[in-house]
Order: sequence, then structure tokens, then C-alpha cells
Amino acid sequence: MNKKSIILLILFIFLGVLFTSCASMQTKPTAANFKAPTVALDSVQVTQYNGYWYYGANIKPTKGKEGNNSAVLPLAFTFNITNPNSFPVKLDGFGFTVAFEDFDVNMVNAYETQWIPPGKTNQISVPSILDVRQALLGLLVPNAFKVKEKGTNAWALLEKWWTGIPEYNIPIYVNGGSATFMAGEEQKVVPFKAKFPQ
Amino acid sequence: MRIRNVFIILCAVVFLFGLSAPVMAKVIKIGGLTDCTGATSDVGKDYALGLSDAWHYVNDTGGINGKEVKYTWFDYGYRIPEALTKYKLLKRMGVIAIEGWGTGDTEALSATVFKDKLPYVSASFSAHLNNPKKSAYNLFFAPDYSTQARANLTAWFEAKWPKHKDYGKRAPKFACVYNFASPYASAPIKAIKDQAKMLGFEIGEDQDVALTAIDTKSQIMALKKFSPDVCWHGNTTMAVSATMRDAYALELGADWLVNYWGFDENLPRLAREAAEGAMCAGPSYFFGSDEGIMKTVKEFAKKYTPGVPLEKRLKFTVTAWSNVLLLREALIRADKAGDLSGPGILQKGFETMRDFAIADGGLGTSPVTYTSTDHRSTGIVPVFELVGGKFNHVKTIDVKGRWPEKWASEWFGW
Repeated sequence: MNKKSIILLILFIFLGVLFTSCASMQTKPTAANFKAPTVALDSVQVTQYNGYWYYGANIKPTKGKEGNNSAVLPLAFTFNITNPNSFPVKLDGFGFTVAFEDFDVNMVNAYETQWIPPGKTNQISVPSILDVRQALLGLLVPNAFKVKEKGTNAWALLEKWWTGIPEYNIPIYVNGGSATFMAGEEQKVVPFKAKFPQ
Repeated sequence: MRIRNVFIILCAVVFLFGLSAPVMAKVIKIGGLTDCTGATSDVGKDYALGLSDAWHYVNDTGGINGKEVKYTWFDYGYRIPEALTKYKLLKRMGVIAIEGWGTGDTEALSATVFKDKLPYVSASFSAHLNNPKKSAYNLFFAPDYSTQARANLTAWFEAKWPKHKDYGKRAPKFACVYNFASPYASAPIKAIKDQAKMLGFEIGEDQDVALTAIDTKSQIMALKKFSPDVCWHGNTTMAVSATMRDAYALELGADWLVNYWGFDENLPRLAREAAEGAMCAGPSYFFGSDEGIMKTVKEFAKKYTPGVPLEKRLKFTVTAWSNVLLLREALIRADKAGDLSGPGILQKGFETMRDFAIADGGLGTSPVTYTSTDHRSTGIVPVFELVGGKFNHVKTIDVKGRWPEKWASEWFGW
């Protein structure tokens, strides 16, 4: 290898490093310039409808074991997450409570990490799985006084929800949501709440 | 020579690029099983949020000897099959310890965690979990329910009974109210009756009150025939408040002693004046306290759970922090010993603690000790009374110190 070749090689590497550095050069995140990303509920989907049913532990099923078995209502919550910054941010934690009308029925977390490019909007879909039995116990114990005050009963509410939500005519609330974002060493925890249908 | 120079330059470039790559820190995985929306969610959600806040605190203050903790938790809605499924998922994910919840999941998983040698730090304080021969990997920071119940009754006997008009004329009368079928509610009944007998109480018939009860008039009428001076309530807050309201309306006239998960900041909101004077063991601070590191606890609650107002947080947040910082200490010790396996965390972590003060006592907990033969964390139990919506310290009972022989030989595992 002659001298000219070596100089060319070094120049090539230098330019490569220079271009790579320039390409990746962007504003450094600081506490002052890190703007809070926004979280907005886009839609709620009933991912599979299984009807409304419940049978107690004393009923023998055709197959499988006895138990307080009941219809599962799987939902998928899709959120739009917008990064207003001039640098990418990492979604590092995401959780919220699901409420039917004003009763909390489920709490879910998403652990998938994702990067949101500068100025762009990503979507995240979070599943929520709930059955009649779980919701029933939630109504009978922690919400017992509230159900009574509303002049109704747990079974009436459950039937209304399990038949009305697939029709999208029962309000579903996202409460107490928090999303954790990271940019460099900086962190922001963003609260959010929403209602569907709006 | 020229080739060698080129090689050196290339090596230097590779080295520089290598330095600029992000350094991957080692991560410790911890799992969580909670009830935020099921039968015990009136107390479980606050505990779950407290766990999450506290693991953020651990990471923000250095992790486990510099290692980051990745805390993954699920709301299992107090459905045991769901808890078992999520346990298997957490195990597959490689967690080295689990923050569990109540008696339901803890007892259902006790044999499994024993077999798997996976430390399971729970909010179930059942004395059944104290025997390492049967449940070595079940641990918690608090005195067990039975020790709490013994202390609670003793505190009433010494602080309240001498002020009664019949003091010195007859034995005090005592009865238990709880859900017979609930493992949590029934766990300390044998112990508190044993304590009552030892202190000379006359004991009435037990009353069965469901965890779902909102009308307990028939049980109160049955109690009125016995006319107790003091009653123990073993359920959670909703049923406790319903019973207190009925007892107040029907003029039962007895004082109330309450199990740990039935006495919180919601009790005076639900039962109002009917809860006045109720007593409970307080193995850690209430959320409203400003003592110790409670300012930090509130800051983390506000920062990491911004959707839940501080005025809605309960003492169970502090309970959760106590269990998290207990596990943190066990992990730090085991990690320093170079062994983060389940047996390592147990033997080189938990079982090396002797009068260890969690957060230097900044959460209001008593110092804890675990040995290879006894997992009762402490026998020192502060007892509190609800007065005018505030929780006042009545007295602290050292159950182990007062009855050392019974503690050592009789009161183990129940």
C-alpha cells in the first residue's frame, strides 16, 4: 500500500466519521427544552365478543372444571403519542385504569419500549382483558356503597355493560393514566385521561 | 511498516466508535402481582401504586449496587387462575423476586414459590407464612396478623378498659366479627382469642360477616344479646365500615379493634362518627404523616402517579414502600455476596438481617430480624386510635419482649 492510498483511506474514514456525526447531530435534551409529549386516545376496540353469561361454581360444565366462570370482554385501547421535540424520545412506561361509566374495572400496563421520532406521532395499542366475575367482585366489595347509592345492583350493571359496550353506547373512561418518557438523561411523566366514545 | 500504521489507525477508529456506543447496564428483573380492580381493590390499588412508586425510588437512588431494577407488574383482579398464569409469565421473564399481594395469591402460590425458590414478598401478613420449613420464600416486613391482633387487644385492655365504669367489677367482654370463609379475615382469630383468654376476657360467639356485606343488622342484634365491651373486626374497609355504621345505629356500645386491611384513611369517610375510637396496629406510617421519609414518599407518588391525587392515597402506599425497601436491602446484601439466586437472596439477604431498620426507620416500621428458623419480622407493634378523623398513637406493645417464652415456644406459625 503506497502513501497515496493510505492518505485516501484515512481521509475516507475521517469523512465517514464526520458525515455520520453530522447526520446524528441534534439538539441535546435538557430539562429546559424537553417538552412533554402528548397522549390521546384514538379508539377502543372490542377485539372479540363472547356475549354475556355467568355460571356459578355449583354448575358442571360440559367440559373442563367447575368454577365461577363468565364471559370475557377483551378490549384494545389505541393511543396517539406525539413527540413535539426536535429529538427522539423513548416511551418507558405506560399504564392506566379502565372505567365503565364511573366504576373502575381494570388496570393495565404496557411494557413495550418504543422510540418516537422528533415531531412525529406513534401509536400504541394496549389490551385489557376483563371477565364478568372480576367485575362482579369489584362491584360487590369496593364499590358496594356506590352501587347502592345509584339505586341499582351489580348484576344489572354487568348486563348493561356486557351487552352495551359492544354497541359502543356505554362510555368507557381511561383514568389515572401515566406515561413515562425518556430523552437522554431527562425524564417526564405525563398524566392522561380520556373518554370513548367522545 | 505502512500496513502496521494503517492497522493502528483503523484500530483507533474502531476504539473511538466503541467508546461512543451506549454502555449497557445490568438489569435486575422484579415482578409484581396486584389487585387494582377486583374484590380487594379498595385497598389493593393503593398498595400497587405504592409498589410502583417505590421501585422508581430505588432506581432513582442507585438501584441495587448500581444495577437498574426493571419492575413488571400486573393487576390480576383477585382471580387466582390469573395470578397463577401471570406468575408463570414472570418466572419465564426471569424475575428474581416477586412483590405479591394478598392471602389469595400468596397462599395459592406458597408451595410453588417454595419449590421454585423464588422470594415472594407479600402484603399478606398471615402467621402461617412465618415458618421457613413450610414457606421459606414468603416474606414481609410487618408483624404478622396474629401478633398485631394480640397487641391491639392488649393495648385496648391497658388503655381503654381501666376507664370503663365496670372496671374492677367484672371481666371485659369480647367478640369477633369476620368472614369465616376468608383466609385473611380468619387468620388471627385463634391468636386473638388466645390473648383474650390469657388477659381474662369473657368471650362471646363469633359473627360471620361477608366481605361483601353492606347490611349487618342481624349480626349486630346477635351481638347485642352478649353486650360486648370490645369487638374485633377481621374484614376489609368496606365491610368494616358497614358493620360500624349498623352498630352505631343500633347502639351496640362496643369499641372496635380492626384488622390491618380494614382500617385506613377511607374508614372515617365511610363510617364517619361510627368509627370514632376504633383501634388498629400500625406497623408503618399513615399516608398523611410528615415524619421520616414521608415527604419523599409523597413526592414520588405525585411524580410517578400523577393521575391519582395525593388526597386519595392511603396508608397502603407506605406499606408497599416498606416491603419494597425490605426487598431492596435483601437484594443489596445478596448482590454484594455475589449471589442473586433465590437461595442467595434468602440466605445472604433476608436471613442476615438483625434488627435492621428499613429506610433507617423513616417509614415508621419496627426493626426486622429474619433467621433461618424463624421469619417473624418483629414483635414490636405500635397501636393507633381513630380520633376526630386523625390517627393517634395509643401505645406500642412489644409482644415478643413481654411474653418471650410463649413467643419462642407457643406462638409460632399461627
